[in-house]
This record gives sequence, structure tokens and C-alpha cells, in this order.
Amino acid sequence: MNDLLKINYEKYTLDNGLEVILYPDKSLPILSANIWYRVGSANETKGKTGFAHLFEHMMFQGSKHVPKQMHFKYIQEAGGNLNGTTSSDRTNYYQSLPSNYLEMVLWLESDRMGFLIPALGQDKLDNQIDVVKNERRQRYDNAPYGLAWEIIFSRLYPENHPYHWPTIGYMQDISNITLSDVKEFFHTYYVPNNASLVIGGDINVPKTKELIERYFGPISRGLDVKEVYVPKTELTENISLVHEDNVQLPRIYFVWHSTKAYTEEDAALDILSYILSSSKNSRLYKSLIFEAEIAQDISAFQHSAKYGGSFVVVATARPGISLDQIKEEIFRELKLVIENGIRQEELDKAKNNIKASFIFSMQNLNSLVNHLNEYNFYFENPDSFNFDLERYQKIDTAALRSAAEKFLRKPCLELRIIPKSITQG
Amino acid sequence: MELNRTKKPQPKGKISFTLPEVEKFSLDNGLEVLFVHKERLPIVQMSLIIDAGSRFDPNEKKGLSNLVAALLDEGAGGLNSLELSNAIESLGSVMSVSTDPDAMFISLLTLSENFSQSLDLYAKVITKPHLKEEDLQREKRKQINRIIQAKDDAGYIASVVFERLVYSQHSPYGLPEMGMIETIERITENDVRLFYETLITPQNSTMIVVGSIDKETLRHKLNIALLGWHTHLKPIISVHTQPREKTKIYFVNKEDAAQSEIRIGHITEGRNAPDFFAKSIMNSILGGQFSSRINLNLREDKGYTYGAHSGFNYNKVNGYFYVSAPVKNENTADSIVEIIKELKGILVYISEKELKFAKSAQVRKFPALFETYGQIGRSLANMIIYCLPDDYFNTFLDNIKKVTLEEAYGAARDNIFPDELVILVVGDRESLSPQLEKLNLGKITELDRDGNVIGII
Repeated sequence: MNDLLKINYEKYTLDNGLEVILYPDKSLPILSANIWYRVGSANETKGKTGFAHLFEHMMFQGSKHVPKQMHFKYIQEAGGNLNGTTSSDRTNYYQSLPSNYLEMVLWLESDRMGFLIPALGQDKLDNQIDVVKNERRQRYDNAPYGLAWEIIFSRLYPENHPYHWPTIGYMQDISNITLSDVKEFFHTYYVPNNASLVIGGDINVPKTKELIERYFGPISRGLDVKEVYVPKTELTENISLVHEDNVQLPRIYFVWHSTKAYTEEDAALDILSYILSSSKNSRLYKSLIFEAEIAQDISAFQHSAKYGGSFVVVATARPGISLDQIKEEIFRELKLVIENGIRQEELDKAKNNIKASFIFSMQNLNSLVNHLNEYNFYFENPDSFNFDLERYQKIDTAALRSAAEKFLRKPCLELRIIPKSITQG
Repeated sequence: MELNRTKKPQPKGKISFTLPEVEKFSLDNGLEVLFVHKERLPIVQMSLIIDAGSRFDPNEKKGLSNLVAALLDEGAGGLNSLELSNAIESLGSVMSVSTDPDAMFISLLTLSENFSQSLDLYAKVITKPHLKEEDLQREKRKQINRIIQAKDDAGYIASVVFERLVYSQHSPYGLPEMGMIETIERITENDVRLFYETLITPQNSTMIVVGSIDKETLRHKLNIALLGWHTHLKPIISVHTQPREKTKIYFVNKEDAAQSEIRIGHITEGRNAPDFFAKSIMNSILGGQFSSRINLNLREDKGYTYGAHSGFNYNKVNGYFYVSAPVKNENTADSIVEIIKELKGILVYISEKELKFAKSAQVRKFPALFETYGQIGRSLANMIIYCLPDDYFNTFLDNIKKVTLEEAYGAARDNIFPDELVILVVGDRESLSPQLEKLNLGKITELDRDGNVIGII
């Protein structure tokens, strides 16, 4: 087991500060290239939200030596797939393709790190502002319950907290982004000393090192990136919010401040969420869906990130069932966990599943390579699968109960999303 | 040597890729097994592909196959729903049952060390499901609520209503696989039993196993686990194919929608048509990938959408061509105009360069189809569902490489009919109806969220 999760890798840093991690795996003739820039929506400020994500779009618009639209075309022509994602803490770009295209990937990735700005014009920016506004409409404004998270985070975190606004950004802020903002953002955050590059798959290590030095070595180091200011946050009393949406079934959310990613309590809360809602026998599912049939769906999860975390329980009511009834049942179940703890067999089952899911997750090269970058981001050690799994194996029933008691007894935020034109009840 | 960034680096050498070897054998009860031995991780992935999709649902009981799928793991072989779920979960295994219009899939993912115990539970679900009345009633209630919820989603409404329009409600492919509230209400315990007994049988199924297990051990264990699972007579389904008609435009109102969902297309031939490869190349030029004409036009040039694409959706008998795009309200009519322009365009112009690009993308991404245990299984499942020849993957690359420009044009001419389209828009009436009227595409028929005609706008 431990051997299975042990990763054979090499990590080093270029003179310009770029961290490089190489992971050879010859099982298929493909490679995966994955780069993380340590910037996300947490680096934005009020009035300039949505910046990090819009910037991710600009990175696919060509660079000095790569004409517009050709970044996608070159990768796709090679039979590869590619994408990027932005979170509150980081932006990643990944592609996998046949392994004989290594040099082309390094060329593309280094060109947009070193030479994006000369190719960036107002027309490209205007176009991608439109595209991102459409993305916002599609994924949030026009999606059932789609605004829930931005409502929650804007009240859970104070205005000066980096998690106060949504990663996609507010519509007005997206419209107002200027070319000079984009350029400044690039020079501040898209510098080699703020990034880490992982190449995994069918690669020859010395040859790959040589090519990486050739393509990324000449890019100049930037200034050090300032740490994000994170005010201490706490809910001093319960917050209750109601939002009307174009939905037919009301839904209720409970959110508590919890703990950051990869802490010990983070693992305990992950296991707790598993015990509450992962299967038919989990506590909330069994009582609200299977037995009482008052909820249509329910989920509990620990949402953890670099600067903070929250524990969330969400349930959708069945037709004719009041959210008050759902709330009462959820809190009854949570109280049982806090007061009596959980059974050893529940804990063992959760651990078995987490262990199996670690192994299942090793099947896909893109996801494995992304994990190496994530572990490097948090621990500066890409080979942390065993450490990560061990976090869960260490939790005992007492640790779990005390985490539940510590976080879930505090005030929480409650959001009800109700059908339009039906009064609250 | 000075680095010259102006030139795109060329690939170095050729890659060698060997297809996974597929072994075939039959069990004592007649079930065919396709097996791929893969050692990389201690995992076994199994999938039973049953020719029992929603096309077997009587139209007045649409949603039956979906409900049978939901019921199979609600108790089997003496274990009730909770006991069964608990047993699987304790092993860290994942079992799921799902359906599509053509097939039902019962899948299991397990660590090799727990294979025997997991197989035992998996076999119970296949051969000894309880299918009890009280479980049926509970699952029906859940299913009805799922349908209510799905109708909040403009994308779901658009896809379901579009299929009803292209196939017609008389086709077994015309109504939503999930069913409708009134059709779910009609389903009885007897319907469920009959569906199970006639369709979920060894002769009507194929088992696909990919994993770290030895073939003889697998055969032996499957024979024991699936003992006593027998075959019954199977119903025969006839599929009505609705002819294409002159372009017609339809509208579903979704008040205050922040975007419009557009679906445009028409019925086409099935998966086994001889021009499949040419069609697939032609479509990847038209709208099958990010760098295709429709997406570059609507997204990267006009900024009307976050993403637009086209494709052929196949079933065993026929299929349809579609373009799908969620777009900005005020550009809905503009988007329709641009899409039709692209459909007409592909009939008259395809460049050698585009052809080369599309072929190269498909050829080179081939090895990635066989990366995970699940992907190998899915590739094999497609062979089974569409009755593709045994050498399908061995000849795939050649079949793609030999598509000529003439054949790509032919594929467009024979499969894209810009004057015989179903055009459907789901969105906010107030902002859309003036725009749609100006399109001059004839009367606009308004439908409800199930696709029933409400009136003419």
C-alpha cells in the first residue's frame, strides 16, 4: 500500500525561481504538463473581482510567438487535451498529449509565461470579457441555486477578507477590467518565481531537464509576491439569509467557519462529512432521505483552502416539506455526533473508502500530476500521498468528536433558497 | 545554439502504442466476457452491459428502465437496501447502476484484495434483486422529484424537448429517459419484474472486466457467482423514424432566464452508417472541438457564448445531428443566423488544412482512450452497444487516416440539412420573441417544458 502511493520524482529550482518536478511513468506514451501559478481570486481586491479567472482566459489567447487561437490548435492537432482552472488560491494550466510533443508543450507554456504581453490587445480582452460574462450567466446566474455560494461567502467573510467575493467575479467588475490592469497583474503574479511546473509521464529525465532550462531558463525572475492579508474571522452570532430563485424545491444551507486545508482537524471534518452524507447508511442520508423522506438530496462537506475553511451541510426539501422540519432533523443528527461521538465501525468504513479512493485516483496521469503540484504548493513536497492518507488513518473517534464539538457548536450562517413568489415558511 | 522561439518545435520521433489485448470467453450460462489484463494498480473494474435501455420502456411508462436501475441495488440476495449498501461500502468498493436509451450498465470498481467479496455482492444485484413494492414506491417518489428539479434547468429542458422534436414522441427515443411525472406514476411492480425477467439475462448482456486478476481465476469466480442466472424470451422493439421536415422554429418560455439555450439539428442515420469516420472528421471541423468553426465564431470571434459545439448523437438504430449553445439573450437571433451560416458553409468549403488538422487530432489522441481502467472498459462497451466489428480499434487509425476531402464533403452533404432543421430556443419570452420573429423562419411554435404544443407565437 505505502509503496503504491510512493512517487518516484525529482524536484529542483531554476535560477529564476521556477520550481520543477519531474515524474517519469512509462506505462503509456503520453505526458502531462501541469503548471501552477500561486495566484487566485484571494489576490484580488474589492471592485476588481474576477481578475485571476479572466486572466486564465487571456493565457489561451496566444503570445508573442504563438498566434491567436493557435495555442488550442497546436495542442489539439497533436491529439492532446488542455484546460486551466482558477480557485481562490491558485491558477493551474494542464495538458496531456503524446510524449513526443514534449518540446512543443514547453515552448507553448514558456512563451505565455515570458511573452504574453506583447501579443495582448484590447480586442482580445473585450472578446474574453464577453466570454467570461457568458460563463458567469451559464454557470451561476442561469443555473438553479447558482448564486448560493457567492451569497454565502459574501456574508461568511468580511469585506476585507480574500474569500469574500466569488472567483468568477461580479458582473460589473468583469466589465470594468482594463488592459493596463491585466498587464500589471501579469507582471506581479505570472513570474517564474511564483510558479511550479510538473511534467509527468513517458519522459527522459535528463533530456527533459535540458529542454526546460532552454525554454524557461531565459525568463527573468520577478519581484517576490506579497503575502495576502487575511483578517481573523469569526461569526459572533447566527446569520439567516433568504434568497428567491427560479426553482421549484426550496434548499437550505448551513455553513460554519472551520479550518484550513491539510490540518489534522481538516481530515477529521472530511471523515465527519463522509459519515454524515456519503452513502445510504450515512447519518443524514438515512434519516432525512431514506427513512423520513423529507429531503430530496443532502450533502455535507468540509470545504478547505489555503486561508480558511468551512463546513457545509446542504439539503433540498421535498415538495410540501418545510425547511424548518429539515433544519430540525439536521441539527438533531449533528447533536448526536457532538454529544455521543461516532461508532468505531463507521470510522473504519470511512477510512477504508478513503484509502481505496486514493488508489483509484492514481489511474489518471493528469490528476496525479496535478496532485503533485498541489502537495508541492502546500508542503513543498510533491510526494505526499502517504502523508495525506496518514492524516486520515490517524483520526480516532475521540478526535472526530472533538472536531465536531469545536466547530459545529459555534454560530453558523443559514441560507434558504426559496421558489420565487412563495413567502417564507 | 540560440533558441529560436518563432518556430513551433516538431515532435521527436514516433511513439509506439500497443492496444490492450482483449480476451474473450463465455461462462456456463452463456454470458460473454471481454477481459483485459492490466497490472498497473491493484484494481478490478467490471461492467455488465445489458441491452436494456430506455428504448424498451413502453412510451406510456417512460422511465421504467431508469427505475429498474434504481431498484436493482435497493436490496438483493437477502440483504435489504441498507445492508447491501453497507456491505459494499465496508469493502471500499464502488457499485453503480445506470441506464441510457440503449443500454443498462451495472458497474463495480474494487481493490483486487476485495474482489471476491465484492463480486459476491455484485452478483446478488444482477441475479437476485428483491424488486420489492415498498422500495419501488420510495424510488418512484424520488424519481418524480428528480424530474421536478430537472425542469429548473434550461439546459436539461432544451435537450429533452429537442430530442422529442427530432425523434417524435412515437419513437422509443423521443421521450426523456428519466420519464415524466405521469408515466412514472403508472409503473407497477409487475412492470418492473417483467422488465427484469425478460431483459436482464445472460444472453442479453456482455461482461467487461479490466484489471489486475488472472483470467482463469476470474472465469472460475464468475461461473460460481453467476450460477443460476437464466435467459428468458426478449421483447422486440420497432423504432419509428420520423422524416425530416422543412425548418421549423420552436420556443419554450423560461421567465427571467439569464441566457438562452439553443439547440439546432435534425434526425440522421445510426452509428453503423458506412460514412461514420468521414462524418466524425467533418464534425470535428464544424463544431466537434474547441478549435472548430462554430466555437471559434460564436465564442472567440463574437463573444456570444461560453462555448458552442456540434455533434452526432447515435443510438442503435438512428441518431441525430445537433448544435448546442447557451447564448446571451440579446444575441440569440444572431447566434441562430451564425449557426445556420456555418451549416451551409461546411457544405461548400472544407480546406485541406482543416482536414489534416482534424485527422491528426483524432489519430494522435487515440492512445489516451485507453488510459484508465474505466476508459478501457468504456471503449469496449461502445463496441458492444453498437455491434462494432472485433477489429474496430485495430483498424480505427487506418479508417481515420484514409478519409479524403471528397468523403468529408460527402459526409456533410449526406448528413447536414440546413433547410430541414429543428430550431429550439429555451429562454425569456420578453427578450426573445421580437428577435425570433425577425428571423423569418416561419411561425414560432411555443411548447411547454415537456415539449407539448401550447400555441403559435
